Amino acid sequence: MKTCILAATLVAAPALASAQELVTRSRVGLPDAPNTLTFRLTSYDLYSSDPATREAFEGLFSAFIRARPGWKIETQLQTGNIGQEQARLLQQTQAGRGPDCAMIDSSQLALFKDTGVLQPMNAVFSDEDVADLFPYVREAVTDDAGNVLAWWWFTDLRVLYRDTSIVPEAPQTWHEVKAAALAAVEQGREGILFNGGRWEGTSFDWLANFWAQGGELTDESGAPVFAEGDNREKFLNAVAYYQNLVESGAAPRRITSITDYDAFNAAAAAGSAAMFVGGNWQYGQLRNTLPEDTFAIWEVSELPGPTPDQRATGTGGWTIAALSDDPEKAALCGEIAKEIYAGPGNAAQGLLPTSQPIYDRYDAYDGPEYDLFVEALENGVARPGAAIYPEISNQIQILLGDVLSGSAEPEAALDAAASAVQSAYERQ
Amino acid sequence: MSARWGDVATYAVLAVLAVFFAVPFAWLVSLAVRTPAEIYLGAARFIPETPTLDNFRTILSDPAFLIYLWNGLKLSALGGALAVVLAIPAAYACARVPFRGRQVVLVGLLAVQMISPLVILVPLYRWMNALDLLNRDVSVIAVYGALGMPLAVWLLKVAFDAIPIELEEAASIDGASRPVILMRIVLPLARSGIASAFILAMVMNWSQFLIPFILLERDGDWPISVAIFNFAGSVSASTTQLLAAACLVAVMPAVLVFILLQRMIVSALIGGAVKG
Amino acid sequence: MTPTAERAPGQGYPAPWLIPAVAVLATFYAVPVLDVTRLAFSDATLIQPASGFSTVALRSILTDPALPQVLGTTLVFVAVNVAVLQLAGLAIALLIVRGERRELPGMAAFRTLVLAAWVVPGIANGLIWGMLFDEAPYGTLNSLLAYAGLGPVAWLSDPQMALVSAVIANVWQGTAFSMIVFYAARRGIDPVLYEVAELDAAGPWRTFRSITLPLMRRAIAVNSVLVSVQTLNTFDSILALTGGGPGRATEVLSLFTFNTVFYNLDLAGGSVLAVLLFAIGMGLTILIGWLGRDRT
Repeated sequence: MKTCILAATLVAAPALASAQELVTRSRVGLPDAPNTLTFRLTSYDLYSSDPATREAFEGLFSAFIRARPGWKIETQLQTGNIGQEQARLLQQTQAGRGPDCAMIDSSQLALFKDTGVLQPMNAVFSDEDVADLFPYVREAVTDDAGNVLAWWWFTDLRVLYRDTSIVPEAPQTWHEVKAAALAAVEQGREGILFNGGRWEGTSFDWLANFWAQGGELTDESGAPVFAEGDNREKFLNAVAYYQNLVESGAAPRRITSITDYDAFNAAAAAGSAAMFVGGNWQYGQLRNTLPEDTFAIWEVSELPGPTPDQRATGTGGWTIAALSDDPEKAALCGEIAKEIYAGPGNAAQGLLPTSQPIYDRYDAYDGPEYDLFVEALENGVARPGAAIYPEISNQIQILLGDVLSGSAEPEAALDAAASAVQSAYERQ
Repeated sequence: MSARWGDVATYAVLAVLAVFFAVPFAWLVSLAVRTPAEIYLGAARFIPETPTLDNFRTILSDPAFLIYLWNGLKLSALGGALAVVLAIPAAYACARVPFRGRQVVLVGLLAVQMISPLVILVPLYRWMNALDLLNRDVSVIAVYGALGMPLAVWLLKVAFDAIPIELEEAASIDGASRPVILMRIVLPLARSGIASAFILAMVMNWSQFLIPFILLERDGDWPISVAIFNFAGSVSASTTQLLAAACLVAVMPAVLVFILLQRMIVSALIGGAVKG
Repeated sequence: MTPTAERAPGQGYPAPWLIPAVAVLATFYAVPVLDVTRLAFSDATLIQPASGFSTVALRSILTDPALPQVLGTTLVFVAVNVAVLQLAGLAIALLIVRGERRELPGMAAFRTLVLAAWVVPGIANGLIWGMLFDEAPYGTLNSLLAYAGLGPVAWLSDPQMALVSAVIANVWQGTAFSMIVFYAARRGIDPVLYEVAELDAAGPWRTFRSITLPLMRRAIAVNSVLVSVQTLNTFDSILALTGGGPGRATEVLSLFTFNTVFYNLDLAGGSVLAVLLFAIGMGLTILIGWLGRDRT
């Protein structure tokens, strides 16, 4: 036991010593700086396990703090478990113990806005900055009075990836997807993969099919309406699309066990699948992990719809918001979002900026795939800004899992989901 | 003759079970030394053509990972020690002080063991918050102490029962008080029982996810059982091999400690068995 | 069960000895349980504090159509696990004892292997088995099975199989505990009894039925309680393995509770479930405690 500890200390010592500069595991800036801002962030950038990303952000943060010698930033990391982390953040903030500044998942932003814990960062963002934002982003980060309550610093979307050696032409409709997938199965591949396990990605990726038909999850007051009126039929259409893919063998049954996007990268690397519904960020990952000639055969296209004209994609991403009522800290928080993340931070990771000028500003966005992404963002739909969304998503995950594994019929499953959501909604 | 066949049967059954218990570890090692390209070969190549230690290098060069391991060790050891310290007087009373309701105390302790940390955690979170103890190791250690105490009382009672009472009676005639007897005679004689209770508590704590996850908010304070969750799916590329290496690194210290000390636990348990 | 009878005169001031234990029990168990019960009768969410007494959460959770399914899954998960864990633990313990008596090599190594699985944190357990059960064409177990001309098995995507897989992962990790308890209990039996049995030319099955099993009765009872607790309260390995899916196929009560509090932020509803979890746990304890009571 002692040897273990000793060994651990020995290995840790030099690594810790070298990091004892401006950026450490829990701090940016000098330890004796008079003012402190606490910042809760995700583990994807400054503390990424990818060395290149980490170095880029260390550089950005160092420059930022050097320009503000009176400040240090105490960093707090959150786990990848978004739902729980954000619940905890909200609870802490209400108890007066939250960080001064935090990254908030775009899906949770509405909840934070509703509870009134977000502090305006108007001093940092000009009217032009706000006007440049994509419309759904602008709407999400501002309140009725025009206050900037958060800065959505990158967005993402879902696209259809395909192996062009098997599927040369991008399928435009659900029907074409099925035909192409079945043809791929003939050639010994898995036709199409998508998330079908019990997690947020499953419902969110699938919702694109519902939204493409103009379906709505909630009405303007935030009440669930997805099982009523026209929405019901649209919902069932979208379920039938997936169900049909699985039952025809176009999609393997194993999709109900897929609970992360890595499974798609793996399938692409193994050459076992012909198509998958993935995130735009996976394009960069594939470029980095696949051999060049394998990567060359993968193409992206907009998610197919029921008809070529009916398209949608869910859009997500992260925001940065001030939780401290100290205006100086709120301003610093906004500056972090503006100077580090939105812009150079986007470019360093190849993440999608939320306003057109940033695409034009950086070479990182010259690739043809970004033209496609920006175009597809035109059909972007954000999660509804309703507090009931997590439960709707939960029920959709259950519904899809049950239907796709053959243990429930779509109509009955939809009724069950609608009544569960309604019951949760009435208690909110 | 039949004993020989019995030996064969023993080995046959144990061999099947050994495969079941060993395969996940063996596979973990196999995955952890693969390059990304070989991950997708599946079982086709159990021993990779080009085994690499890069995955371990990546994991271990992250100073945070070692901090997580250290945190895990620290929290589970201190929590286990607290559980034992809290348990000693009660276990002694149950073993040596006859009183009405002793059975009730013992069954009550067992019943308490039935309570999921999930049940008590939300109120505890609110209190720790009110007491300003959140994010401090002491909050987790205190909860570990409380969670580990009931089982420790049972194990220690068994250990104390096994000590010949004549020794204590002799000391008592010499005028020693109960606390003195406990300190001077009982505890030294029961040290292997105490050690086993401690190690059992520690092992339980090592695997705890929920308590540190809720009570500690800064990643620098997390034990490995929470931090490992981060390694799954947070990394920017396909990472089965890294995850496998991380799991191995997370598991190895506990396994080593346990292998070194298991003789003590098992022998202590045999001493009293679970006679109650 | 009659402590009064053995109460000796001039003794029995347990209070000072029990203070630390009782204080801990009160602070960390009794009061939180009361607090959770109070929350169950409120309308609190993780975000909003309770505004008053309410039975809405109680009624809504208890009439939730998902609850019977969750309870059914929990019942199957716990029952199968307890049975398998006890059988496996007992078999391994007896075989090891036999092997040691015959001085067969490798017994300590085997025991160590089983114990090693025990110290794996639950989350890591779920992650490890998630890699093994991966159903992609290159997935571990399925590609192994393919060598034997079998499979593929829908380990995690088929609802029934997913529950079996969750049990397998739990058995892998949990067997060690039962093994220790039974190993210790078996070693605690007076060897003379077995020598007598041998003289009587009793076969192994009869020896097991008339000596081993009766004398280990209490160990089995105590172990049943502890193992059911652990299984009932297990959710971290399932969380990492399936998240409860597909659908609700592997969503046991503790995971359901966890999701209700930390995913839906429904503190009152989660508290109702927590109280339910508590009540089931207590019921099990009392039941098994009663079944295994000392009849001497």
